[in-house]
Amino acid sequence: MPMREITYLQGIHEGLQHVLEHDPESVLFGQDVGAFGGAFKLTAGLQAEFGEHRVFDTPICESAMLGCAIGMATQGMHPIVEMQFADFITTALHQILNNAGTRHYRTGNAVPIVVRAPSGGGSGGGPFHSEELETFFCHMPGVKVVYPAFPSDARAAIVAAVTDPNPVIYMENKTCYRSVKEQVDDRIAPLPLGKARVRRRGEDAVVIAYGAMVHEALRAAAELQESDGYEITVVDLRSLKPYDLDTILAATAATGRVLVVSEGWKTCGFAAEISAAITETGFHLLDAPVQRLTAPDVPIPFAATLETRYRPGAGDIAVALRDLIEF
Amino acid sequence: MPGMWTLETVQKVAAVDSAVWVDVLRLMVLARKVDEQVIRLCRQGQIRGSSFTGIGQEAISVAVAVAGEPDDLFAPCIRNVALHLGRGETPLGIMRQVLARPDGPTGGRDGNIHHGRLENGVYAMISHLGAMISVVAGGVMAKRRHGKDAVGVAFVGDGASSTGDFHEAMNFAAVFKVPVLVIIENNHYAYSTPNSRQFACRHLVDRAVGYGIEGLSADGNNAAEMYVTVRGIMDDIRTNPRPVLLEAETMRMRGHGEHDDFKYVPEELLLLYHRRDPIKLALRAMKAAKLMDDSAFSAMEAEIEAEISQAAKQALSETEPSPDTLTQGVYADA
Ligand SMILES: Cc1ncc(C[n+]2csc(CCOP(=O)(O)OP(=O)(O)O)c2C)c(N)n1
Ligand SMILES: [Mg+2]
Repeated sequence: MPMREITYLQGIHEGLQHVLEHDPESVLFGQDVGAFGGAFKLTAGLQAEFGEHRVFDTPICESAMLGCAIGMATQGMHPIVEMQFADFITTALHQILNNAGTRHYRTGNAVPIVVRAPSGGGSGGGPFHSEELETFFCHMPGVKVVYPAFPSDARAAIVAAVTDPNPVIYMENKTCYRSVKEQVDDRIAPLPLGKARVRRRGEDAVVIAYGAMVHEALRAAAELQESDGYEITVVDLRSLKPYDLDTILAATAATGRVLVVSEGWKTCGFAAEISAAITETGFHLLDAPVQRLTAPDVPIPFAATLETRYRPGAGDIAVALRDLIEF
Repeated sequence: MPGMWTLETVQKVAAVDSAVWVDVLRLMVLARKVDEQVIRLCRQGQIRGSSFTGIGQEAISVAVAVAGEPDDLFAPCIRNVALHLGRGETPLGIMRQVLARPDGPTGGRDGNIHHGRLENGVYAMISHLGAMISVVAGGVMAKRRHGKDAVGVAFVGDGASSTGDFHEAMNFAAVFKVPVLVIIENNHYAYSTPNSRQFACRHLVDRAVGYGIEGLSADGNNAAEMYVTVRGIMDDIRTNPRPVLLEAETMRMRGHGEHDDFKYVPEELLLLYHRRDPIKLALRAMKAAKLMDDSAFSAMEAEIEAEISQAAKQALSETEPSPDTLTQGVYADA
């Protein structure tokens, strides 16, 4: 099949397009997603292609949007809700935690909704347009969380999320939207939720990452190979709940040294979960303590100087890896 | 306080088939007696925690249940056991629910009034007040996309009307012209908080103006008035889809839950509403209209009581769910 280059944003767009085309029960709604095409132009053209009945704008009401999605999902539809920024889900957390997340356990009724959450910082979004909230959602029983890093996965993960009969939070990284590109063909390979992918193999240490941090880790790994000859494994988790403990432990066994990287906050963060899981079940595989590299526990600052310090980058990862290997 | 009926209301009530009033009365009595049975079980220490009943507010739920069509969707709250019963839940189902039995509607995963069967068009509530209005709106939107002329009814209290979720959902439904009837059961209290501390507008129904929708009021203790009002709205929005707000004035006749001695409610207020008990009012009117007499009513009560005590006995004889099932069913199978 002929290959072509698409961006991460195009990957998501094509995933949505595929679902809207093949699943008549799917609808996509959110603020400004229709004729305007969304705050990031990610949904541009979808309303024109599928009609106002399938792709539509809503008022600014995150709770009512999610409530509506829950109502639709329990009647056989497959709603996809776009949050303009992940940050604004906080005004409606109860709809995910309490309403969607508890429903199957309490009543046996499935709630197949997908909530798209444009996440992450790095470009001056400041405290309310940069948040990385996967930890909140991973903490919720009954909820699944995916976080692709590459365009082909972004595309396939939309299909997988819509097909899954449970509430799925689809984390998408805003800095990856236009900066991450990949050669793809038109075939959307199935992406099983809960399966990680090893992006690079080496025996000196492993970086476990997701979202934009996968790309920072790959840059750091290339740099270290160049400068020090170190060979680094990079695991792209892709799915955070459930997460792929088998692949994590296999990489731990192969390297003995683990660095978990997240652009979320440190305390009780998702990196802490991965670190704890490795220590609990793979302690005997370790040659050094599992390390975390995360954002510090501070609100996300606006100034470039501050945000650059705040957010883990390839340089920080390389330093942390060198320390870990030389431990 | 409720006003005089208009000639229009009198005519509407007169036009209703008399069999409907028998259904209405029977369902109110059933709900009252189910609630009373729940209170007895609670007092006997058979129920974990408190119990929440709809005693004194039955006419509102019953009017909706009797007016509803099979495809309609409902989001009941904690005062609406009558709605559940009117939509096909059985006294046995309710007893199993409050006693956390595996064969109850939530199988012991949730308690008291937090249940609902989607096959009856009834959504299980979550505690978060106001959160279910948008859910029923979404459900109705889906049904309509599937070609059904469904309407939805969501119940909230005077207290829930203060939440952001109430506002978001009302506006959302208005923008999308979703046929949902949102009923505020104004029973004067939200737990211990009186209306005076809950809102500063004159009537809650006045808020309809701000959403660009119609708002109506009705005497929530008068089953006939409730029925013709609700029926009229549901018929109307079924063919001309849009949300409507209805404020039903009523009174919570017990504490917030059975743990609450409700000393904060003035005695006179309770006495007033005791005289205006919805079952008493309906029975008096039906006797006057020769639709019911003492012996038929006693027979109805006896039959209902027998069913309920049998249901309680049955549910009590069953055991709670096995702890081994704790982690089952969190997710639907992919
Ligand atoms: C969002 C939210 N806040 C607080 C509560 C706790 N709570 C449960 S019922 C209740 C009072 C509700 O009053 P009202 O809406 O008038 O209903 P009523 O009990 O009178 O039927 C409160 C405060 C809750 N369930 N949800
Ligand atoms: Mg109240």
